[in-house]
Amino acid sequence: MPRTLLPFALIAAAIALPVVTGNTYYHHLLVLWMLFSLLALSLNIIVGYIGELSFGHAAFFGIGAYVAAIMGMDLGVPGVLGLVLAGLIAGLFGFVIGYVSLRIVGPQFAILTLGFGSIIHTITNYWVDLTRGPMGISNIPRLAFGDVYVFTSAREYYYLALAFVIAFAYACHALMASRTGRAFIATRENAPLAASLGVDVFRMKLLGFVVATAVAGVGGAVYAHYMTVITPDVMSLHYMAALIIMVIVGGRGTIAGPIIGALIYVGLLELLRAVGPLRLVIFAALLTLSVIFLPGGIVSLWRRVFGDPETTAAAPGEGVGR
Amino acid sequence: MDYVVLMQQITNGLVNGMTYVLIATGLTLVFGVLHIINFAHGEFYMLGAFFTFFAAQLLGLDYISAAIVATIGVAVLGILANRLFFWPLRREHEFTVLLSSLGLALLLTNGGELIFGADPKYIPSPFADEVVEIGQVVMTQQRALIFAVGAVVLVLLYLFIRHTSMGRMMRATAQNPEGAALTGVNIRNVYTVTFILACGLAALAGALVGPTSMIFPTVGSWAVLKGFIVVILGGLGSIPGALIGGLALGVVESLAGGYISLGFAQAIGYAIIIVVLLWRPQGLFGHARRV
Repeated sequence: MPRTLLPFALIAAAIALPVVTGNTYYHHLLVLWMLFSLLALSLNIIVGYIGELSFGHAAFFGIGAYVAAIMGMDLGVPGVLGLVLAGLIAGLFGFVIGYVSLRIVGPQFAILTLGFGSIIHTITNYWVDLTRGPMGISNIPRLAFGDVYVFTSAREYYYLALAFVIAFAYACHALMASRTGRAFIATRENAPLAASLGVDVFRMKLLGFVVATAVAGVGGAVYAHYMTVITPDVMSLHYMAALIIMVIVGGRGTIAGPIIGALIYVGLLELLRAVGPLRLVIFAALLTLSVIFLPGGIVSLWRRVFGDPETTAAAPGEGVGR
Repeated sequence: MDYVVLMQQITNGLVNGMTYVLIATGLTLVFGVLHIINFAHGEFYMLGAFFTFFAAQLLGLDYISAAIVATIGVAVLGILANRLFFWPLRREHEFTVLLSSLGLALLLTNGGELIFGADPKYIPSPFADEVVEIGQVVMTQQRALIFAVGAVVLVLLYLFIRHTSMGRMMRATAQNPEGAALTGVNIRNVYTVTFILACGLAALAGALVGPTSMIFPTVGSWAVLKGFIVVILGGLGSIPGALIGGLALGVVESLAGGYISLGFAQAIGYAIIIVVLLWRPQGLFGHARRV
């Protein structure tokens, strides 16, 4: 099969997936897969394209979820506008946090984003008047287009999330092929050199950070409407680590990587449900082994086996891991 | 009597701050000497508390012996962690090392939950119920012990780094690892000793703080967050920064908790970070790489 057709074949397969089974439980897993794919793809912009590690990404997901829930329930904002607002407000937080923390690079940035993620988590936990604290918000209305159409079933949310993933994956692909994308890569590989070539490194990084956080916000809004219940747990350390595991194990700096990473996460989490707490130990081992032995993630296996000079040239696993 | 309340708040803050200092000193030591951000640092704090608990329960030791055994035990684990997770990756990119330490942190937390059980435990200590009075300020003996041991350990650490040959080697490695290796410093030993000290300090903090609150396997993420705030505030790699940053954070949190609200106190640490970083991006005593 020609390589250019592969994405279309995969999209067709993804569209066909929920039809294969009528089991709502599997549909639920598919929704989670797509939502985590969207989040992992957006985190990938920061980890894979900008070349910084963010430990606060789950917080923006949470902000999006809370914005959608609070806007929808307290202010009666229609669902679709809520999605847009969730993205905008998460992106605004991303702008402020990125503006402060992107002035520092390397491991300090990682710690700073962890701190910011935690402050947002803490505020959500204690600002009971707005967020109902640890009890969370329940009975969030389903996403609806006015009175015309209401998203209720898991299958509908799967298609909605899939549409977002396809659109965003395409945007990432187009970005990487563009001048801006090349500036991102230059910034990641060698920031001083990129700066000397006229790339505004700080602006590039801030731009990437804001886009990534805004997308995470939209993902959070879809999640809130789908689950109809959210608690501050969505921004806990557990999810921050989980998102990083997806991106690293799947393969940072690629488009397929984070999606595969999300599939592995959701799939293994279910398969290993029987072994209880041990499953998280297995995830931790997976992360550690991947970091040490497979820095390019699972997608780099594909490249090793089949060889793909086009993507290998831009493969960041080796670049970042050097 | 507002004055007494104020003094009480400040005293409480200093004691909490000393805990933060103990946690942050190990973190900053590992970063300063080896340029490693150890995400798993909080887990060694957790292990220190649990080892103390089990040394007391299973071996029937009294609190002080149990704390010493736990500290030594975790310091030995530090050697192992270094050999498996940090030493082999020393030539890799800093993100690889950071992610590897995140993996170690998750392994220890979840492994801890598996082995120790998720339900909170309580470390018995003979000092937890007795109080000390200084003027009108009151605190438990346990909290006085935290402060006293913390101060003594920091002085010993300072003397070790200043005046022993290993301390000199550590400082040489901090400045320039290649240069230090060329002049005959055994980098491998420096790694080992740094991790023994850092993990021992974290475990000691866990053993000391354990009896003042419940312990559970996820307590390490709390510890590492506080540690990170302190080192960012004081400047990564700076031990005076960890001391002043830790005590300052403890006092500010205590005052904010007493006069504003307890929930807000949790967030104030981060608020301080933002203000400090806008003014000094490298922290109070640190050096940072900028874009």
